[in-house]
Amino acid sequence: MYQNTDTFPMFERLDPRSPTPLYAQIATRIRVAIAAGELRGGDPLPSVRHLAAKLRINPATVVQAYRALESDSLVATRHGAGTFVAEVGTERRERDRIAEARRLVRELLGEAGRLGISASEVRNAVDHELNGRKSK
Amino acid sequence: MMFVVETHDLGYRAGSDFEIAQLNMHVPAGAVYGFLGPNGAGKTTTIRLLLGLLRPAKGAITVLGQPMPQASVSVLARTGYVPERPHLYPTLTVAEAIDLHAAFHARWDKPWASELVSRFDLPPARRISALSKGETGKLMMLLALAQRPELLVLDEPTDGLDPVVRRDVLEAVLDYVSAHSATVLISSHLVHELERICDWIGVMDQGRMIAELPMQEFKAGIKRIRVTAAPRDAGNAPFTLLARASLNGSGEEWLVRGWEPAMRAFFDTAGASVREVVDLDLEEGFVELLRSFRSPLPRT
Repeated sequence: MYQNTDTFPMFERLDPRSPTPLYAQIATRIRVAIAAGELRGGDPLPSVRHLAAKLRINPATVVQAYRALESDSLVATRHGAGTFVAEVGTERRERDRIAEARRLVRELLGEAGRLGISASEVRNAVDHELNGRKSK
Repeated sequence: MMFVVETHDLGYRAGSDFEIAQLNMHVPAGAVYGFLGPNGAGKTTTIRLLLGLLRPAKGAITVLGQPMPQASVSVLARTGYVPERPHLYPTLTVAEAIDLHAAFHARWDKPWASELVSRFDLPPARRISALSKGETGKLMMLLALAQRPELLVLDEPTDGLDPVVRRDVLEAVLDYVSAHSATVLISSHLVHELERICDWIGVMDQGRMIAELPMQEFKAGIKRIRVTAAPRDAGNAPFTLLARASLNGSGEEWLVRGWEPAMRAFFDTAGASVREVVDLDLEEGFVELLRSFRSPLPRT
């Protein structure tokens, strides 16, 4: 029996070994998808049971991720119906995208620091990649 | 907190060179509890004690609120058990083995059993003796799940199974747990697998429970810390120092448990400075914990 393992490409490569707890990783993926417009207001999130089984993680982890998003008003749970993406304004989405970009850069800088790469070397490398991408 | 499995000062002796001593174990209701330990630590023996398959020499065991081994019959009716080694009649077919189990369990979920047969791709007419290792593993899991247990006890359930089968089996377990909020006690040496699914961890070594705590606490609290000008005495540290080693001339590396970021102050006051705090994953934390249990630091 063939089973599609990519039912949720949004959750590919979650890292259980990371010091960032799994629930936070899941919440971030959903937050980014909402910020990027991949998930829109009213879209249903997978049920806790389904997502836990598909990702082979503890259902409590999924519940915790959904709760975190709920307390950020990004999703709402309707009893008996499931969890749905909330209507999120353009400004909020832009803010969340900026926050995510900063988080990615912080990670990059941390890694560069451990490898002894200087800030200006990182900046040049970022410019180089961005320019290369434009000219392609 | 409600515990589905609880032992108090459990003791058991098998031969002259192995004993379980003062074992205190607490599996909270609704937890997926990962039972870790090296080979020979006593995990399987503990599980057999919990299920009333061995008699303790000392201490008390409560499972699903009832004393063991006295309440074996009613506890086992509510517990799904996948033992390390399958115990199925080799001459039965898959369908016959399922019918046999169904007869013993009042709460048997027939529709779900049939669903699992097709989901697991099991051949109903094949004899147990002709099943592959993966098929046997899936059948064992089916039998444990379809009895709709309140407690699932899985002893190395995915040991020796290929990744595809492991995936199917764990998916079914998690599906069941979500739907019925059952409690799971799972022993495995596949630490990364446990890291994904467990929310509690119990670590056993040499017949003793050496750590038992929520997974997130375990992972967040155990760190490798690189320190310059490390203090000689760590007796009044707010964390537990498990091990220390000098880093060829440039300070020391400390392995600590119970770490919180605010504890940097301890090093500041001692005139030391923290260069780096390194996170450990479950496997690294587990290995370090065992190492320090086996050769503890001398008390300063």
